[in-house]
Amino acid sequence: MPPTGLEPARMNRKKGDKGFESPRPYKLTHQVVCINNINFQRKSVVGFVELTIFPTVANLNRIKLNSKQCRIYRVRINDLEAAFIYNDPTLEVCHNESKQRNLNYFSNAYAAAVSAVDPDAGNGELCIKVPSELWKHVDELKVLKIHINFSLDQPKGGLHFVVPSVEGSMAERGAHVFSCGYQNSTRFWFPCVDSYSELCTWKLEFTVDAAMVAVSNGDLVETVYTHDMRKKTFHYMLTIPTAASNIALAIGPFEILVDPYMHEVTHFCLPQLLPLLKHTTSYLHEVFEFYEEILTCRYPYSCFKTVFIDEAYVEVAAYASMSIFSTNLLHSAMIIDETPLTRRCLAQSLAQQFFGCFISRMSWSDEWVLKGISGYIYGLWMKKTFGVNEYRHWIKEELDKIVAYELKTGGVLLHPIFGGGKEKDNPASHLYFSIKHPHTLSWEYYTMFQCKAHLVMRLIENRISMEFMLQVFNKLLSLASTASSQKFQSHMWSQMLVSTFGFLKSISNVSGKDIQPLIKQWVDQSGVVKFYGSFAFNRKRNVLELEIKQDYTSPGTQKYVGPLKVTVQELDGSFNHTLQIEENSLKHDIPCHSKSRRNKKKKIPLMNGEEVDMDLSAMDADSPLLWIRIDPDMSVLRKVEFEQADFMWQYQLRYERDVVAQQESILALEKFPTPASRLALTDILEQEQCFYRVRMSACFCLAKIANSMVSTWTGPPAMKSLFTRMFCCKTCPNIVKTNNFMSFQSYFLQKTMPVAMALLRDVHNLCPKEVLTFILDLIKYNDNRKNKFSDNYYRAEMIDALANSVTPAVSVNNEVRTLDNLNPDVRLILEEITRFLNMEKLLPSYRHTITVSCLRAIRVLQKNGHVPSDPTLFKSYAEYGHFVDIRIAALEAVVDYTKVDRSYEELQWLLNMIQNDPVPYVRHKILHMLTKNPPFTKNMESPLCNEALVDQLWKLMNSGTSHDWRLRCGAVDLYFTLFGLSRPSCLPLPELGLVLNLKEKKAVLNPTIIPEVITGNQETAINPSGHAQLVGFQNPFSSSQDEEEIDMDTVHDSQAFISHHLNMLERPSTPGLSKYRPASSRALMPQHSPGGDGTPLTKPQWGMELARKGTGIHLGVFNLEGKEQSPLEMSMHPVATAPLSVFSKESTSSKHSDHHHHHHHEHKKKKKKHKHKHKHKHKHESKEKDKEPFTFSSPASGRSIRSPSLSD
Amino acid sequence: MADTMATAGAGSSGTRSGGKQSTNPADNYHLARRRTLQVVVSSLLTEAGFESAEKASVETLTEMLQSYISEIGRSAKSYCEHTARTQPTLSDIVVTLVEMGFNVDTLPAYAKRSQRMVITAPPVTNQPVTPKALTAGQNRPHPPHIPSHFPEFPDPHTYIKTPTYREPVSDYQVLREKAASQRRDVERALTRFMAKTGETQSLFKDDVSTFPLIAARPFTIPYLTALLPSELEMQQMEETDSSEQDEQTDTENLPLHISTDDSGAEKENTSVLQQNSSLTGSRNGEESLIDNPYLRPVKKPKIRRKKSLS
Repeated sequence: MPPTGLEPARMNRKKGDKGFESPRPYKLTHQVVCINNINFQRKSVVGFVELTIFPTVANLNRIKLNSKQCRIYRVRINDLEAAFIYNDPTLEVCHNESKQRNLNYFSNAYAAAVSAVDPDAGNGELCIKVPSELWKHVDELKVLKIHINFSLDQPKGGLHFVVPSVEGSMAERGAHVFSCGYQNSTRFWFPCVDSYSELCTWKLEFTVDAAMVAVSNGDLVETVYTHDMRKKTFHYMLTIPTAASNIALAIGPFEILVDPYMHEVTHFCLPQLLPLLKHTTSYLHEVFEFYEEILTCRYPYSCFKTVFIDEAYVEVAAYASMSIFSTNLLHSAMIIDETPLTRRCLAQSLAQQFFGCFISRMSWSDEWVLKGISGYIYGLWMKKTFGVNEYRHWIKEELDKIVAYELKTGGVLLHPIFGGGKEKDNPASHLYFSIKHPHTLSWEYYTMFQCKAHLVMRLIENRISMEFMLQVFNKLLSLASTASSQKFQSHMWSQMLVSTFGFLKSISNVSGKDIQPLIKQWVDQSGVVKFYGSFAFNRKRNVLELEIKQDYTSPGTQKYVGPLKVTVQELDGSFNHTLQIEENSLKHDIPCHSKSRRNKKKKIPLMNGEEVDMDLSAMDADSPLLWIRIDPDMSVLRKVEFEQADFMWQYQLRYERDVVAQQESILALEKFPTPASRLALTDILEQEQCFYRVRMSACFCLAKIANSMVSTWTGPPAMKSLFTRMFCCKTCPNIVKTNNFMSFQSYFLQKTMPVAMALLRDVHNLCPKEVLTFILDLIKYNDNRKNKFSDNYYRAEMIDALANSVTPAVSVNNEVRTLDNLNPDVRLILEEITRFLNMEKLLPSYRHTITVSCLRAIRVLQKNGHVPSDPTLFKSYAEYGHFVDIRIAALEAVVDYTKVDRSYEELQWLLNMIQNDPVPYVRHKILHMLTKNPPFTKNMESPLCNEALVDQLWKLMNSGTSHDWRLRCGAVDLYFTLFGLSRPSCLPLPELGLVLNLKEKKAVLNPTIIPEVITGNQETAINPSGHAQLVGFQNPFSSSQDEEEIDMDTVHDSQAFISHHLNMLERPSTPGLSKYRPASSRALMPQHSPGGDGTPLTKPQWGMELARKGTGIHLGVFNLEGKEQSPLEMSMHPVATAPLSVFSKESTSSKHSDHHHHHHHEHKKKKKKHKHKHKHKHKHESKEKDKEPFTFSSPASGRSIRSPSLSD
Repeated sequence: MADTMATAGAGSSGTRSGGKQSTNPADNYHLARRRTLQVVVSSLLTEAGFESAEKASVETLTEMLQSYISEIGRSAKSYCEHTARTQPTLSDIVVTLVEMGFNVDTLPAYAKRSQRMVITAPPVTNQPVTPKALTAGQNRPHPPHIPSHFPEFPDPHTYIKTPTYREPVSDYQVLREKAASQRRDVERALTRFMAKTGETQSLFKDDVSTFPLIAARPFTIPYLTALLPSELEMQQMEETDSSEQDEQTDTENLPLHISTDDSGAEKENTSVLQQNSSLTGSRNGEESLIDNPYLRPVKKPKIRRKKSLS
């Protein structure tokens, strides 16, 4: 496996604080981006970039940059034409001709393709040859200015155009464009070094229509009209060194709002939304104040811009000094539910301004530090803004999420370290994708990764105290801001990059504490802890015997050794005990403080010092224990399953003041459907002081309990009298009061209670008539005229409640659903839904929440057999042009229909939408929903599972989604869900035939490599199926693959050999080739430096080298067969315009000489180390002669190289 | 005589029907009048000394007399109406006679002549009893400030109002019930109407009318309808939080959009503005006014731009 940019980080941790070593043989200092024409009609962009670089090695002769999609017209270095080659192996990961369909193979190929262009490994899609005239200049390490003219036509990713098709000019239509993408995706819209670790200063110029505004990073220096006065140019300067990946752009007819509290902050929104923008951003200054205060550091940039755009890729995207938000976050003062969500988004983006934009990362494996810190300070903001309860609730939620995900998928690793190239070192072998690159990660994994990162930061805080934590952040920030004001020559800029090592060092410097065990447990290792706890009270010894077991064998778990806090609430008070969890000790004896003295009337002290009266009649007479909690502070990433008696849970629910404890007890009480539980829950529901989210979950628990107790339940349906008391008129209890949502807590309760009540079932498993009438009455008497707030969310939840009340229809031998046999209750429900849905057309609600709920309800009716199952309605709502929330809800219904009715047609319709929908978010979301609710899974027989579908999906992830990393990973997720890792079962086993075919072909073509073919065949014999045991790059994937590779290698190697010689001729001045090579190869291949580190890595290194070479070949391959490859079309060699260049002469003979230079380095190195290899090359050379033109190739060959043992 | 005249003058307004039965009451009346007039003519002739007269001549004279009296009646009516009265008075008749060239002064003497014949009054038929109009209650006597000669009050039912108040619906439950059902009816009617007039979708293949769903129609700019509050809500909102909003920003926004057009005004400002931008270049934007780069006017292009394609 080719090592990547992760390497430097590892190096750092080993070597100590040596600073950052760039993987590139040059250093970027400044970049100009000038976009002088943007055409909304054609969706095209024309411009140029100019990069100022300083070579760091003497014989730099090619410069690799990142660029995707861009059509590059011309490259000049210091005003001299330069030849270049454009080559992107990620466009098509595996070659068409390959009939391989197993995901392992794809994932490996994909990871290799991404590595091959990874800027953190010094690679790039665009390879520019330094003109020979400049070689001397370069040897003196003098500055180079690379000027690249490029254009972008109908970009499919990176830049998103929104052009509504109405009358009027583009500005009147509200047309806008903005940059977007997942992780480092700037290369999609201009050539750059698309790495978070390559910082430089920026000059950005955008010429746009006079009615438009261009918002970008840094300070707007001036705005100047063009000569015809019809356009204007926005000039931006960003003097703080910033990574290209943090550069963004938004152009549109924006309305401008200067923040009234902070004049250097400007907000932008689309026309007509200004009032909403004013309200939405009116809170932002408080977030600023909060962060600046806790970090004791001013906001690092001189200005800040927020832009709200339509069809957003993600809700929040933070870039240097600006954030791009979804316009759907805007809301008016009447909206309750959206307000906290939007504020959270604002706060999140601002936290990322400090950590993520201003402070960038050294490598991908340091990403967790940035996400962790920004997530952590965002959490602090939450705690301050929404209170401790909300904060703890959120932490609990996040913890539950990560625990569930890790247990399901087998672990999230924050700080992956990739040693050597051996597969067994792969820390994420349980996953079906590579975690070496952000671009190969499943989106869900990445979300969970961020979640875990901030939780781990919180664990660190627990260990070293918040004060030290903030000091560390302050230190990082002040170092960075000192560095940012320095000139490039001072070599200080790398201080702005955070690394895991640097961060940990900072922590140990500031706090003096050793947190290495904690890091080892949660950062360097994946998995969570699973505790099972139970206890017994030993009355004689007055001791609590606690037994804590761990499951550390299931996937996604790890063993925990260390302290664990246990809180015991006794009659005498609450006591904390810290247990040492060790290898073999399961039982822990905890001495109790109090004898059982229940008869004494005495108040019971709680943890928080409060003393309360309790009714102790429920408890065990012999035991003083009220309740026990394991790890109450959530200081371990764990799942706890604890057994205690039902009355203990009830006491815990009533009297424990921690919301997490209350939540846990509610969950536990579901298993105890008794009148006592019912009473405890009802009491909590009524208690005004109780946290509203706890009360909301109590509703659902109560519904479940009521259903379990259905035969013995007395009185009106659960919660009905409670609701009546709280929200209905005193005089007429069947009528709800007119809405007044001033108290948000009761608002949320009022919304939730009917939804929970609708889940009640009577003995016939039907929703009680009384409940349905009750909900219908709520809808009927709903009156919002005097309310200050909108009731759209409330009404939407009422429809959800109606949907919840639906039970499966009693059907007689699959009769067709018609109106006549419609259940009368359902008729009432349907009437409401019809009316609501129709009213939405006339008086739409905010974010169409009601339409969304109606669509869901209709799907529920269909699924329960009341209404004929039919996707047409949903399909019409899923069309482009509806509000995105509606579309998602409708698509969800179609996805569900596809699953339930096994409809091939609908699946095709969805797949078609994934490929063609104009909104990237919707495409991503469909894939996500299909993955969550798959039409079939790998172990299932399904008529949908056929070869055509496999091909289709394969094509989708192989080449159809190359413009959007997130989408491609989404397609991989779906493929995995449907077919699993190995070859889909619905495919025939064609390998053998394939082998034969290829072999025949090969036998004719190259008789010289017959021995190798035989080797390949032998391997086939050993691994007949090919994929079952293959796990790594070193193993051949299948015989056919292997053969292709061998062929390819030889063809290519021989070519490389020729060009090697040419190259030697070409540059005879370079003295002592063998002496100098290591320098250049290090520059090109950073992986070699760790090797020279004293680590004896010879063998693995050899493996790496081979793999590396493979990647190189991979690049070459694309050139060879580039007829229909668009990148090659794009890379137009300025052959004619550069007559003097030796290189151009060369390129007339072989267009791909550039690559051959590349290989030539490698070969030389190999030659040095392994003589026999060289001999081999000669063979290839001869073979090369009789094999021309090159007819076929497989880019996949790059990955499966003969294993080291073979070549030795 | 006066009776006759009055009757004649009233023309056909009389309702007096003859005693004899005839086919038509109007004919009856006409015949009776003629007969009376013939009697008068005959007695006058007798008085003048005629023994007998031919029928034709009597007829002619009758005709003449009738015309004459009719004319007097007509004329007198005009006079009386002229003075805004409904009933002729003596003076009206006098003026009429004077107008017709009759010497009124001779009239008393003629009336008192000795040889005049007295004709018996025509038989008076019973006045038809006009059916008594509905009377409800006692007619009110005049209040003291109204002279007694004024007509009596009409029947009480014609002017007395008896307001009938139903007990005002103050019951909360009923009100809510009513409001709810009203709104529901309006909504249903409206949506049904919309559904009838436009395209619809249906959940049932066999029935498109029971639960008609207005067809989903994509918007060109979907976020506007989704995010903007309705006008009604907007009003409410402005009322509640107009105080919170910073009016400054409102006005501050204008320049940019205006500035795109009025390049002329900017000319003089250009030099000042350049200063401004140099100030902010050094991050020194502390001015009394909001100094935000997006609010600054757009510069005119320089003749020679150095920042152009380098």
